[in-house]
Amino acid sequence: MKSLHRRKLISASAILAVTALTATAVPANAFSPKSEVGVSQTEIKLGITLPMTGVASPGYNKVPAAMKAYFDYVNANGGVNGRKVTLVVKDDGYVPTQAVAKTNELILKDRVLALVAPLGTANNKAVAASVNPGSRGVPVLFVNTGFSGFADSKKFPTTYPILPSYVMEAKIMAEYIKDNFAGKTIGLLYQDDDFGTDALAGFKSAGVKFAATVGYASGSQSATTGPGWITKLKAANCDVVILFGVSSATAVALGTAAAMKYAPQWILGSVGGDATTIKAAGVPAGVLYNAVGASFLPATTDATDEYVSLFSGIYAKAVPGSAFDNNVLLGMNTAFVTVQALKAAGANPTRKSLLDAIAAKGSTFASAGLLPLNYSATSHVGYNGYWFGKYSPTGDLKPVGGTYTLYTTDSGTGAVVKSTYKRPAMPAKGLPN
Amino acid sequence: MRISHKSRFTTLVGAAALVAASLTMVPAHAAATGPLCDGKVPVQTCGGTTADGAPYAMQVPANFNGTVLLYSHGYRPNVAVPVGIPGYGGYTVANTPETAPGQSDKNMSPTTTLLTQGYALMGSGFSRQGWNIDAALATNVELIDTFKKKFTTTKHVVAWGQSLGGIITQALAEKYPTLIDAAAPLCMADNVNAELTMAGDFLWGFKVLFNPAIKGGNYSAGTAGYVEAMTDLKLFFTTLAEVQAGITQVDPTKSWPSTSSATGKALAAAGVPVRSALLLLGLMSGVSTQSPSFDSVAGPDGALKTTFPLAVSPALAVLENGANAGALAILAISDVEAQAGGAVFDNTKTDYSARVADSSVIFNAALSGNTAITAMLGALSPANPGAPRAVGNPDAIAKMNALTQTTGKINVPSIYMVGVSDPITPAGATQRIVDKYAEQYAAAKAAAAKASYNGGTYVAPKSKVLAIWSVTPKTWTKFDAAGLPIAQAKTPGTGHCTFTTANYLTVSKFLVDAASSGSINWDAAGRRAVRASKGLLVDPNFHAPLLKYYGE
Repeated sequence: MKSLHRRKLISASAILAVTALTATAVPANAFSPKSEVGVSQTEIKLGITLPMTGVASPGYNKVPAAMKAYFDYVNANGGVNGRKVTLVVKDDGYVPTQAVAKTNELILKDRVLALVAPLGTANNKAVAASVNPGSRGVPVLFVNTGFSGFADSKKFPTTYPILPSYVMEAKIMAEYIKDNFAGKTIGLLYQDDDFGTDALAGFKSAGVKFAATVGYASGSQSATTGPGWITKLKAANCDVVILFGVSSATAVALGTAAAMKYAPQWILGSVGGDATTIKAAGVPAGVLYNAVGASFLPATTDATDEYVSLFSGIYAKAVPGSAFDNNVLLGMNTAFVTVQALKAAGANPTRKSLLDAIAAKGSTFASAGLLPLNYSATSHVGYNGYWFGKYSPTGDLKPVGGTYTLYTTDSGTGAVVKSTYKRPAMPAKGLPN
Repeated sequence: MRISHKSRFTTLVGAAALVAASLTMVPAHAAATGPLCDGKVPVQTCGGTTADGAPYAMQVPANFNGTVLLYSHGYRPNVAVPVGIPGYGGYTVANTPETAPGQSDKNMSPTTTLLTQGYALMGSGFSRQGWNIDAALATNVELIDTFKKKFTTTKHVVAWGQSLGGIITQALAEKYPTLIDAAAPLCMADNVNAELTMAGDFLWGFKVLFNPAIKGGNYSAGTAGYVEAMTDLKLFFTTLAEVQAGITQVDPTKSWPSTSSATGKALAAAGVPVRSALLLLGLMSGVSTQSPSFDSVAGPDGALKTTFPLAVSPALAVLENGANAGALAILAISDVEAQAGGAVFDNTKTDYSARVADSSVIFNAALSGNTAITAMLGALSPANPGAPRAVGNPDAIAKMNALTQTTGKINVPSIYMVGVSDPITPAGATQRIVDKYAEQYAAAKAAAAKASYNGGTYVAPKSKVLAIWSVTPKTWTKFDAAGLPIAQAKTPGTGHCTFTTANYLTVSKFLVDAASSGSINWDAAGRRAVRASKGLLVDPNFHAPLLKYYGE
């Protein structure tokens, strides 16, 4: 398909060149190039797949509304080069086969310019294998998974991750454990797929020894399976337990542990550490108190942060009564970066110019992230680090000591070091130029 | 929940309706006879036998327009299946001719429509059943000659066939392009090695995990071998019923069949549910995870809305499809072994881990996670003495591979149609041919361009291939009020050769048009016809997954 388009464009260029030699006064718009799929005179259409329903949906189902809130804000302020940005949302239920079907719909029926923030490691892998957006030239931007493999630009040429990889997160978490919980007995709950495999690789690379590891198959987290997890962790006398799963699994683990009177020091991975989601699942905020969490975005309660301030205001107007949490901030930040990519793609963006723009300018995009985006012609790596915090009595994650201490590393064997990155100022009114 | 083991494959092999009622049957293995025609109006029916004793039938309308369609029927076992064997019991070998698709399903609409339009139809029951491409080719070649001599106003001969008849048609087009003007291989089987690898891998894994009493190949010669194969068939289906019962069992340790091997029992004890093991067998062999009843997408309302498609539905689809794969393995392997003189299935070098490298990620939850996947692949690895690999006989394998194979060389305009989730003849078999032709077409274009360099005019070669994909609905699994799945049949894109009368007639229109023009007429009218036919897709961007064992 890509080559067909290229042929058409080449042919059109050749015709234009010939015509220019012979034509005299022809209206300029007569030569307007054929617009790209998903781009009209008035609109740029994007698509997202994620679980809006089902066991894995809590929390993540707030992402589309958050993205739309920011897109609507941009649209109300002139859009992207005069075009409004729209987002087509498809519920995949966190089922890979459904993600494939829905992605096909987005590409073939809804005819979106690009896929943005599709969620889930297995789902994105299924789409890559079955829909093959890479060979079709369809951009898959800022995927909502930290699986390190998606940064492989040869295997996934049109995919750009945005989250730090799970390998990075595990390595940095290991460093935090070394600094703060040396000598303690460590346990791990992880999702038993590539999401968890990445984490295991990171912990192994960092030399972490676990007294107990509990893997759960995606989708199996429930009140039925939870007691088995906690029994194993408790039996191993784990003082510190890392929960490296989705939010619903975190909620099952915390809720079950509370019921079984088991209260180790909890460390929550960024994917499953959203307090709003955990509390909504019925886990009392007090259970979260003093648990350790990680993020690469500012704390959602940090009123001094200009992005948090702006985004929370926009979101409150767009979705009244909905809590501004990590998933909302992530969604709005992703939308914010997407708008910059669209603007950088030129007056008449195409799939190719969009991808080229991220490769050329992605590392300069403004964002709420406290660590840099690492996009270039040779790198599809998004953010590359974390800060650690503790949950307050009300369940808000706040940086330890009140200041962000940022750690950075890579998905390989590189060391974990403190980051010196200074986030640039936000563009005026949060509207990229 | 009831899942019928009777698939279209079963229907095909057991069909008796056909056109038999109107034909003058000729005993098999007689010298060439006929054609003897009844002279009836508006359609006269002629019968006879070719020199190899294959009975044939010709149906010629009074308004014969000069084009005859030669049909090749699908796979029929070459042995009777005793009554009492689940699924196939009571089948007897018959050489009854079929002259058009649909007849094996008692759907005479394609037949009557085409005859009304003035087309003549013909087909043979072939001299032998089982894997019979070589015999079928000889019969078809003779039949074409016989028809043309009998009906001298014949202008065009086109060939079509489905399943094994699809590859017979492809082989006819490749080897005898001057005898036919166009071809339409439908739900085409792959070459013998590929088909037996798919079916054989599934059966081998089934035996190793669920019932080591299954012999699974290397059958004895003669009657003893027949008894072994029929015993296998019975064991396979009774074990499959136990697997089915275990799929929805909550406790993994209680989900495995009573006949499970020590390896299987060890997996059960480790907490691997039988549904995950069955799904792995499907993924490693290429059995589709979408079946007539199960889309691997939908779940019942309530708590299982997500969990059912995520964890259970793919295994149920493999169960429904695997019934065909296992039966095909037993019946076809025993037949080909008899032809080749020894064991033809060999998986001593097969790397099943590599086979499922991608799909184990997609179906990770249904496979119960990486730990379970690692355990299952370890159980099936050569390192496990409890999972001995099947060792083929090199001479027999060489003889099997000497049977007629298709290469993908396109000589005449060819129209393909296949369901994207066909469990017996995967869409990848057709994709292989389409891909081959893409290379051939590119070379033809390059040659045309080269020819134009010296001042000539570039004339792009016309495409000779049209791939029509029978696609599935968005979702089709249905549930009753209690949330239990409802068995379905004939879901488009699933099952074996699940086509409608409209689908067949659409193909036949392209076929006869191509015979006249010498190329595929993919124009606005053609596009309208495909749309009107429902459930069909023509899209050069669609690419069916190739069979996993190509190039191994």
